[in-house]
Amino acid sequence: MRRTAPLVVTFVVGVIMVGEYFIPHYRYRMITAELIEWGLVLAAAAFVLGLINLVQVNLPKVIRREQDWAYKLVMLIALVCTITAGALGGKDRLGDGQIYKWIFDFLFTPLNATMFSLLAFYIASAAFRAFRARNVDAALLLGAAVVVMIARVPIGESIPVIGDYLPKIMNWIMDVPNIAARRAIFIGAALGAVATGLRVILGIERSHLGSDG
Amino acid sequence: MPTTEIVGAWISIFLTLCIFSYLYDDNPIYKLVEHLFLGVSIGYSVVEAYFGAFKPNVINKLADGQLTPLVALVLVLMLFSKVIPRFSYLARIPIAFIVAAFAGVKLTGEANSNLMTQVAQSMPNLAAVYAEHGLWSWDADGAGLFSSLFLVAGLSACLLHFYFSAPHQRGMKVVSRFGVLVLMLSFGASFGYTVMGRISLCIGRVQEMLGLNRPIDEAEIIQPQLATLVSLVVIVGSLVVWRVQQSRQRGAEG
Amino acid sequence: MTLFEVLERFQTMDRRWVFLGMAISIVAPMLFPFNLGFKVDERVQSLYDTIETLPPGSTVLVSADFDPASLPELEPFFRANLEHLFRRDLKVVVLSLWESAPPVVKPLLRRVAERHDKAYGTDYVFLGFKTGKELAIKGIGENIFKTFPEDIEGTKITSLPIMQGFKQAKDFPLLVSVSAGFPGTKEYVLQIQGQYDLTMISACTAVSAPDYIPFYKAGQLRGLSGGMPGSAQYEKLVFPDGPLPGERLLATQAVNVLNLGHLYIIGLIILGNVAWLLTRPRAAAGGSA
Repeated sequence: MRRTAPLVVTFVVGVIMVGEYFIPHYRYRMITAELIEWGLVLAAAAFVLGLINLVQVNLPKVIRREQDWAYKLVMLIALVCTITAGALGGKDRLGDGQIYKWIFDFLFTPLNATMFSLLAFYIASAAFRAFRARNVDAALLLGAAVVVMIARVPIGESIPVIGDYLPKIMNWIMDVPNIAARRAIFIGAALGAVATGLRVILGIERSHLGSDG
Repeated sequence: MPTTEIVGAWISIFLTLCIFSYLYDDNPIYKLVEHLFLGVSIGYSVVEAYFGAFKPNVINKLADGQLTPLVALVLVLMLFSKVIPRFSYLARIPIAFIVAAFAGVKLTGEANSNLMTQVAQSMPNLAAVYAEHGLWSWDADGAGLFSSLFLVAGLSACLLHFYFSAPHQRGMKVVSRFGVLVLMLSFGASFGYTVMGRISLCIGRVQEMLGLNRPIDEAEIIQPQLATLVSLVVIVGSLVVWRVQQSRQRGAEG
Repeated sequence: MTLFEVLERFQTMDRRWVFLGMAISIVAPMLFPFNLGFKVDERVQSLYDTIETLPPGSTVLVSADFDPASLPELEPFFRANLEHLFRRDLKVVVLSLWESAPPVVKPLLRRVAERHDKAYGTDYVFLGFKTGKELAIKGIGENIFKTFPEDIEGTKITSLPIMQGFKQAKDFPLLVSVSAGFPGTKEYVLQIQGQYDLTMISACTAVSAPDYIPFYKAGQLRGLSGGMPGSAQYEKLVFPDGPLPGERLLATQAVNVLNLGHLYIIGLIILGNVAWLLTRPRAAAGGSA
């Protein structure tokens, strides 16, 4: 039962969801819409599961004062404060003057944005140290990158004579070789998704159910 | 403008520079704000997941007397059984449900939009293209017979490059090689765009530090450039103290 | 010190000097701005024209899927897009699949709507955030009332005048996807655009743009704005006379900063390759003399 029930659920839900594409009838879609809604709730619950796991892992380390416990304590305090502020704010939590909104605007936003902007510096470092035109393949890659980088910004259009052609060459790269390569990747990925989807629905692929599933 | 907003804007700039301090070296200031970020972002995700799905789609519907959300509630409880090892097998049902739902929607979506449409759009009407653009038209960014054939040949070559059921010898090797070159052009273009994206993000942070992302009157009240200068002095000072402490520690150990 | 040694040392210099150069190439053009003109490309023009062809009074569905990290690229577009839609007297239904979008979307939507004297619930609405990624998109395609039973204020959306007659995505004459990644434009195209033949336009980050161009070329997207240059071009179309009083055109302001950043990276690639080419023969023959 422990093995069979999940496989039955997988098959039934999978077949119903695939059928939605082929049966465009509103009664059928009432069923799939219901299943989708349950799926949305489950996806939301996964966040809470993650939260429980995070506390389970980090709280004992803080209590035992293991290495970097102070940082983990900061994390847990920030976590509790944010959840408390959100809970107290309720449906008005995103309104002006709310603590939760303040946390988002002045803590979350700068931290999130700056974390990702660090990559600009590491790309510069990689460009200098790693991008070498060692062979024709690498030279083509670098050539295309340089054309795109120049032509996509205003200075590319301002260069005398070639400035007229650079954006056209860039558009050609984007519209012809880029599309050819992307479509090949899309088609390959689509075939892979179809095959994996069928394996999951038919119960051939069971890794999501655990080692003894 | 409320004082909390002004203080917040200064803290925001300070935190920005704390993260940037990582460029100098991995340091305690960075680690501190990194963990602050983790805590805030996870807390935020949980709150939004509750108000974004759980409350409107379960609690409020149950309060309205609808019964179908009870099934979702049972599935959620089964999912939470994962934290109790004795009952963790129950979590397989909701996991099976969600994986199957995703597999179902991915299967038809990918087959329809990524497979059928992309294949259908890849074979152009060569006569019409030639009549409109000729062999090559600079005015239309290189559109024409040459580019149309290049697209079909490039796509086929890329697909064949990933076909491993036949050995890549002779003719197949040439085709596969052409596919690799087309892929390189595409990856180069991607790299160019990635550079642009990353620099754009950095520009956004600098705009904030210089007050260029706010309405002019707000920037005059907040004085972001002064906040940047003060934060910079505090962070650099802290890093100097940290370095001195580190070298003293090393000296004592050595 | 020989030239070979100088070049070898140059190649292995502390990367913090490279970081410093990057910082200067971004800060300098902001402190000393210069403006080079730029053209609007075909994809952005097509995006703009698609909105222009909608009859006034139509209701547009906007999916705002971004986070603070992608704001520099997408917020200028979103702001200009709202201005464009309200100026054209179109009604706007906004929703989000990214949890960190609502705090940005809500005040911005209200501010632009107030400028055009639009009423909440009648002329525009914000349905808030929904988890579930592709499942949520599928839900939007099938039944919005079921996927988003309430708006961000907690009001039942069945009671809102703007939502009358708009039960699923195909009821909207246009879907605008402002997308910073997953879930976003690609998932909309895969899950519902093709199935319901939706008219759809997209603004995406630069990183995603090469992936979405095939969708534009296949007609799945009617317009595409890629990254900060795309946003700047759209700003140029929506605000041809410059920014509104007291406001800024953030992408237009920033796109010229990109010039120096890109030139710096190109310079690094060239310098790195020249140094490598000059030191390669001797390094291969047995290292430095």
